[in-house]
Amino acid sequence: MEKILAINPGSTSTKIALYDGEEEVWTEKISYKKDKINEFDSIIDQLDMRKSDIDALLKEKNVLPQDLDAVVGRGGPFKPLESGTYIVNDSLINDIKGGNVQAEHISNIGALLANDIAQKAGISSYFVDPVSVDEFEPVARISGIPEIERKSLVHALNVKATAYKEAKRVSKPLDELNLIVAHLGGGISICPVKSGKIVDTNNANEGGPFSPERAGSLPSSSLAKLCFSGKFSYKEIKKRIVGNGGLSAYLGTNNMQEVVKRVKSGDNKAALIFDAMVYQIAKEIGAMATVLFGKIDSILLTGGMAAEEFLVNAIKERISFLAPVVVYPGENEMESLVMGVLRVLRKEENVKEY
Amino acid sequence: MSKDYIVLAINPGSTSTKIAIFNGKHAVFTKTISHSAEEIAQFNKIADQYHFRAELIENLLKEEEIELKSIDVIVGRGGLLRPIPSGTYKVNEKMIEELRQAKYGEHASNLGAIIASDLGKRLGIPSYIVDPVVVDEMEPLARISGMPEIPRKSIFHALNQKAVARKAARELGKKYEEINLIVIHLGGGVSIGAHKKGRVVDVNNALNGDGPFSPERSGSLPAGQLVQMCFSGNYSEKENLKKLKGNGGLNAYLGTADGTEIEKMINSGDKKAELIYNAMAYQIAKEIGSLGAALSGQIDGIILTGGLAYSNILIERISGYIKSIGRIFVYPGENEIEALRDAAIRVLDKKEIPGEYKN
Repeated sequence: MEKILAINPGSTSTKIALYDGEEEVWTEKISYKKDKINEFDSIIDQLDMRKSDIDALLKEKNVLPQDLDAVVGRGGPFKPLESGTYIVNDSLINDIKGGNVQAEHISNIGALLANDIAQKAGISSYFVDPVSVDEFEPVARISGIPEIERKSLVHALNVKATAYKEAKRVSKPLDELNLIVAHLGGGISICPVKSGKIVDTNNANEGGPFSPERAGSLPSSSLAKLCFSGKFSYKEIKKRIVGNGGLSAYLGTNNMQEVVKRVKSGDNKAALIFDAMVYQIAKEIGAMATVLFGKIDSILLTGGMAAEEFLVNAIKERISFLAPVVVYPGENEMESLVMGVLRVLRKEENVKEY
Repeated sequence: MSKDYIVLAINPGSTSTKIAIFNGKHAVFTKTISHSAEEIAQFNKIADQYHFRAELIENLLKEEEIELKSIDVIVGRGGLLRPIPSGTYKVNEKMIEELRQAKYGEHASNLGAIIASDLGKRLGIPSYIVDPVVVDEMEPLARISGMPEIPRKSIFHALNQKAVARKAARELGKKYEEINLIVIHLGGGVSIGAHKKGRVVDVNNALNGDGPFSPERSGSLPAGQLVQMCFSGNYSEKENLKKLKGNGGLNAYLGTADGTEIEKMINSGDKKAELIYNAMAYQIAKEIGSLGAALSGQIDGIILTGGLAYSNILIERISGYIKSIGRIFVYPGENEIEALRDAAIRVLDKKEIPGEYKN
């Protein structure tokens, strides 16, 4: 079967996995101390350190680049792109190194790390469904003032991979299905997936339901007044929107398991905030249902929090009138990267050019 | 048979004052006095417009040869007060004081009670307000935003929403208190309420910038991008807030908030107008869908009302998205003046006991 190496750089670690076809051979994590990471001025500066640590790991695992069929790296907030599996090319490498991306994020170097190994073996490297996947319909781009455009930034990798799994489960091609996929992680992305396309999403950093770490949508005039109040710096407010918002802000923890424990032990405040989060998630799913004109084959709950049954059941209670709900717990990033490459290697899907 | 009371109803809007004299249910006359932007601009605060508007009303009554002494009751639209349950309230000193000081914010409807009170006192007749915008029946979980500094609040077109909800209930042959409805008020601002067995358990706060964009308002915006804009140094607080309310929404994209005008633009092939109007319908539909989930899908009717409900293109677009959710009722315009009348008559007939506005 195809030997595929997957590389997923996170803020303080690099996850590496070797797959043989769909089978995971091994997964390893190279961890870094925060202090070590803080020594670097920019994300790109970490490239050499991360490269040589991966090389060392491969040596230790007795994996030679020439044994591989393909290498895949996680994609970052690149320019807006169609969904799919992309070959890493010079144009992408130049954009990443030149900072021509939507945001500075460690995932931006995933493609560079993959390319480095692939070059040694003369094989191709890929990235799959980055957060900048943009398949919005024009109406979804309008916010409410011309100065601000709604943007598609989304947990596309897991959203798409989960949609593919559902298509397989019901034995139908993805482009014949209308799905709502809710990725429930530290941030929450809720997407109507219309014939395989993510035609809208809340943009987890900017709106939608509040999540363990993020505030979600806020009344705009109230937020603007807070900005001008002089009580908070720009950084402080940003941090309250992404990082210390949502569950963190109300309950001092971003850990769903901990919140559920408190709810079950009779903590009223935890119960209220938990219910409110469920309520907002359900409302966003209801909103996206209208985007699909109410014609929905199924609603998929995925991401780390989808493993929490108490949460899943509470959400189901409010939305099961819309369509059958199917749960695919976990973030599954490594697997999703590999599956994206397999679809291309097996010619089930055309590879895309950046 | 109950006596046919003479009711004076007063509904002050931002650029007009609507008044009506009713003899029982029958309208003796209804008139909307328009105020130009220049006239309004002379005043710093809403409360300062009191004498200006009161005089116009009294002159109009004189013109229409209405004997002031014949009036039995005055009812005005309620303004920004503290959050209170739905119903009819006696105008009292505390209320007037708070509205004069704009304790809970500036809003044209603040003048309703002030004008009603003053005239009522002179004539020695009772004055009331009905379902002010601060009617609050929200469930606790709907009050949580995602940032503790900004709780979600219930501020909406309660008077019209409650009136059309009761009307739809009658049409369904059911009691308002027994059914679930979603009511969409399509005005300069758009408020969408989930009416669960007679209580508005959730509603977007159109005044503070929540929900879909509307003719004059931006609605919810991507939070981080908005914060960036506020801190950009490009706009003062006033300018920024004006972009969100007043010059937001259709006004910002198309230079007009007039639905008729925009329909003309679309019909003459203006693609931008079509995109923006569609986007507004799209956002309104999404908000309706979200409240569908808030009501767990148990919905007896969806009611489209307000001035923009006269816009066929808009109603058609919204209906396309939401028809799978529930039966759609379209009640164009606002029934505020009739709702004020009905409440006043209910109270005089002792069918409703008016609430006392207290601390």
